[in-house]
Amino acid sequence: MLLNPLTFYAPQSLQEATKLYASLSEARILAGGTFLLNSLKLLKRKGLKTPQNIISLRKVEELKGVKFAGDSLSIGSITVINDLFNSAHLTDNLAILRTVCRNISTNPIRNMATIGGNLTSRYTWTELGAPLIALEAMLNFVGPNGEQEQISVEEFFKNGAKATKILSHVSIRRDKTATVSYYRVKKMSDVDVPLLGVCIKTNFIGDRFSKTRVCINNTITFAQRDSVLEEFLEKSEASKNIPQEALEHLNTAIYDNRSDDYKKAMFRVAIKRALADLIGRKK
Amino acid sequence: MKMTLNINRKEHEVDIKGHETLLEVLRDQLGMTGTKTSCNESECGACTVIIGKKATLSCITLVANVAGEEVTTIEGLAKGEELHPVQQAFLDNGAAQCGFCIPGMIMSCTALLNNNPNPTQEEMEYALDGNICRCTGYLKIFEAIRDAGGRLSEMEAPKESTFYRHTPETVSSKS
Repeated sequence: MLLNPLTFYAPQSLQEATKLYASLSEARILAGGTFLLNSLKLLKRKGLKTPQNIISLRKVEELKGVKFAGDSLSIGSITVINDLFNSAHLTDNLAILRTVCRNISTNPIRNMATIGGNLTSRYTWTELGAPLIALEAMLNFVGPNGEQEQISVEEFFKNGAKATKILSHVSIRRDKTATVSYYRVKKMSDVDVPLLGVCIKTNFIGDRFSKTRVCINNTITFAQRDSVLEEFLEKSEASKNIPQEALEHLNTAIYDNRSDDYKKAMFRVAIKRALADLIGRKK
Repeated sequence: MKMTLNINRKEHEVDIKGHETLLEVLRDQLGMTGTKTSCNESECGACTVIIGKKATLSCITLVANVAGEEVTTIEGLAKGEELHPVQQAFLDNGAAQCGFCIPGMIMSCTALLNNNPNPTQEEMEYALDGNICRCTGYLKIFEAIRDAGGRLSEMEAPKESTFYRHTPETVSSKS
């Protein structure tokens, strides 16, 4: 067997799942399994300890699906990437999620991997990080007694979340006035792997940037904002020179974590292209 | 523990401990070796099966997790001696060379064509980007998909009722 012995639990409701998660020691949540199963195999190969209890959320129907609740899109935590990709709700500022989903891993993985698993696995190369920070997405957790906690994706990547709660859904406010661009660089091995990603959101007011978020995923540290570049853009007019000028106003500590010169250069290319795309789509 | 698996429209009782992957049970307990073991870490697509309507990697699926769901493997496509249109199209178009990746490739193609019998080139590439082939260069495979899509569209009976009608029948596993 490729995995060590474990005890498998398949709760039928979120309430049952949260109570199990709080009561069991050494428990891990199984969502789509694309991170977890490979991790468990790797740990076994290395002779390391693996968790005793696995709680699968696959049968918890209330955690599936994409729908609108008021003016916010609600994405159930075990909604798979391809179901989000195919959702008719991805319009306005949310349309960028289709591009992001399109580029995640491979088709069978997109059929299995979940939104919640992608985020809560907290791998540094999680691709949804930067776009969801740009879209000001919120994560909604539920505890064993039904208590709810909401934190921003940005905060989650800075500080994590309480380990006794389960992510129920991601909520993102629809914003008809926002313009969003996303640029991703991948490297090719057997399958393509993300190397870096840039997502920029702004609300143009005339020719000026407003409420701009520049979110970076360098795949070495967690997705984060470049507040130095945001500050520069907020003071700038959206002209064709801005993509080039912006390169003089980067928080270089974020980008220069990459060791290779070409990767540092590719970040600058990504910033330029994402900004040019953003400005090109200004109404 | 005993569990019932619904594979290729038949119910199979298997004895599991909980930590087996679907791929291990298909091959080692049920003798369905058409589904291939290769990378075992979700990169190559050789182990692809269809769960529900979706192409899925059996090497990273816990068998306990698919209780009550319909699993289709490469063995479940043909009707006796009559190949499934996707299989026949692969044969007629020379889309297989060494053949090792082909069961997974056919399952991904079948899942695609069940939902969309006339996919664009982009949609074919999207559906097959998780199936790695080191021999064919993919062109013959794309030709086979187009051919199979045409055959499925021309069939009089709806494809789901022809190939995927659920008629449970209990079969004991080898273990």
